[in-house]
Amino acid sequence: MFLGCTTPTQVLQYELSSRWICKQLGIELVDIEDFVCCGINQSNISIEAGLLLASMNLALAEKRGLDILTLCAACTGQLAEAIEKLEDPKIRDRVNSKLKTVDLRYEGKVRVKHISRILYEDIGVDRLKEKVKIDLSRLRIAPHYGCHYLKPASAFKGFDDPDNPKTLHHLISVTGAYPIDYETINLCCGGKSFPVSEDIARSLVKRKIDNLMLKEIDFLVVQCQTCYLMYRGQQKSLNQKFNRNYNIPVLLYPQLLGAAMGGDLRNDLGIHLNGISMDDFTKKLGVDLTHIKR
Amino acid sequence: MKLSELDPEFKIEVMSHKEAEGLNLCFACGTCTAGCPIHEIFYEYDPRKLAKMVKLGMREEVLASPYIWYCTTCHNCEQRCPQNVKFFDILNVLKNMAAKEGYAPHSWIEQTKQIMKNGIIFSITEELKEKRRALSLPALKYDGERAKKILKLTGIDKVKDQRKA
Repeated sequence: MFLGCTTPTQVLQYELSSRWICKQLGIELVDIEDFVCCGINQSNISIEAGLLLASMNLALAEKRGLDILTLCAACTGQLAEAIEKLEDPKIRDRVNSKLKTVDLRYEGKVRVKHISRILYEDIGVDRLKEKVKIDLSRLRIAPHYGCHYLKPASAFKGFDDPDNPKTLHHLISVTGAYPIDYETINLCCGGKSFPVSEDIARSLVKRKIDNLMLKEIDFLVVQCQTCYLMYRGQQKSLNQKFNRNYNIPVLLYPQLLGAAMGGDLRNDLGIHLNGISMDDFTKKLGVDLTHIKR
Repeated sequence: MKLSELDPEFKIEVMSHKEAEGLNLCFACGTCTAGCPIHEIFYEYDPRKLAKMVKLGMREEVLASPYIWYCTTCHNCEQRCPQNVKFFDILNVLKNMAAKEGYAPHSWIEQTKQIMKNGIIFSITEELKEKRRALSLPALKYDGERAKKILKLTGIDKVKDQRKA
């Protein structure tokens, strides 16, 4: 399990709910303490630095004979892109000559998959449906995919369609909830612009939230902690700045699936950390959860 | 702008990086700009224009531009390019060159320092440790030593912060 930088430090409920889901589905997660940042932001100032950090992580997983499950879309993109680059023996040799200084080597055996992709491809919607205990069909949900979940497309070898993605729709449907389509569905959250220009990044959030305010949805569901932080956190800033009343609750996909699978909202899924009151949440779900046996 | 102010070597220097090889294939159709979410809200940021500026040799105008750092890395530009030009990668090359000339934004420099210290871009505070314990999440043991060694090989530790350059 590749936690990345932001999930284990700022969006703990994503890690918590993902661990719970994996446990329920028999996905064994191994924590590798030597993992470091995936390097995506470092590519801005040194492409080589970004590639080396990514390669280091791949080498660490390979050393243990493991594949990588990611939570963050950006880590997924960065690691998948590195795998693609390292297919070139010249690049691999150059990288390995540098990895030598930290006693590592990468042969090209590791696969990287985002947790949602594993749920979709390796577990499959049918098996997920069998695990659903609570019907969430009263919910209307806006999916947000996250750019690096599917791009650069060449690194994902035909998985889903970046311009017309459907996998998260299917994963939401598993819970009985209805995934809506909307005009700005593929609009980026702006997370990677935020450290350089907060105003620009916030404007991207505003465009999507303005669109979603017209849609009568119960939740925006994301599958990346950066997208989560942008949509959850920046709605507040926008309210102050533009005197608006944006209040769209944001969930991470494993929290939604977990709720449908009967997970404890607080202890297994950390819903209370999303700034949503438990009462509001259960009301929205339209079911009385107090009698659910786990 | 005068012709004599243009640097014809600039595009050759940019294209000498493997990631930017495809620049010559750009016929300036503007599909990249049309699909760019940053351009949509901030007109001055324009991938097609930047590609053209590189080709013309507008070295200073490109490398000193604050706009090149605004990219949100959504990859739409390269995803939709009919010529398969990887503008996203070309932009990274431009940013790398700009960084060497002292234009790197403070935030990216700070993140790099953090990685060399902690292995990740954030510090692991006592408060965080307590939060993780309360949720029964495993303790984090990130360490920046390895990352520091490997990053130093790229010279990224020598890149100057725009604020201090």
